[in-house]
Amino acid sequence: MVIVKIVNGPIEPFPSNDDRNQDGAELTFNGRVRDTEHGKKIVALEYEHYEGMAEAELTTLAEKTCKKYPINDLFCKHRMGKVEIGETSLHVSIWSKHRKEAIGAMDCFIFELKKRVPIWKWAILADGTKVPSECTH
Amino acid sequence: MIKIKVKCFSQVRYALGIDNLNLEFESGTNTSQLEKFIRGKANGKLDGISLRIALNQKYVPDETELQDGDEVAFIPPVQGG
Repeated sequence: MVIVKIVNGPIEPFPSNDDRNQDGAELTFNGRVRDTEHGKKIVALEYEHYEGMAEAELTTLAEKTCKKYPINDLFCKHRMGKVEIGETSLHVSIWSKHRKEAIGAMDCFIFELKKRVPIWKWAILADGTKVPSECTH
Repeated sequence: MIKIKVKCFSQVRYALGIDNLNLEFESGTNTSQLEKFIRGKANGKLDGISLRIALNQKYVPDETELQDGDEVAFIPPVQGG
């Protein structure tokens, strides 16, 4: 199963679940905001997305990842708007029978997300100015 | 003539200073011609920035012909995560 959500406030993590008797691996990734962008100090990031297309691309990508790797579930939340230093901007949880496919699926999903899902970030500098982030990592 | 809506994100919005553009072109205009027009409007601020094209919220190849009422977005390198 796939769940994809784009959210505006702080990310509430997907709950860990002790009843998943078929899953030997539960893998969670949290992408967090650093205090620098391209070597410059920032105070926050502001995320924007192409509404409609971002959700569709993210869902398609999650479904493709579930077909490519033998995983049972892939849940993803991506935050929009201003995200302070240290806060989570991306939260992904994957459940599978064994760890290897979950790790492969996680790497593939995030790699592809950063290639094709229309989401961008703006760096907010100490003086309050907002500039498009140059970071594509 | 055809009417096209261009949505601007990230570096495209920064370069043009606008969220959306409503434009009119001759019938038969394609996405590559529109990109050239947009880059011209940006006065060099988009030089060196690769742009993918989304037509009605789907990626399309270069030189896709535009239709009346289309929504186009020039997608600068994405940065999710």
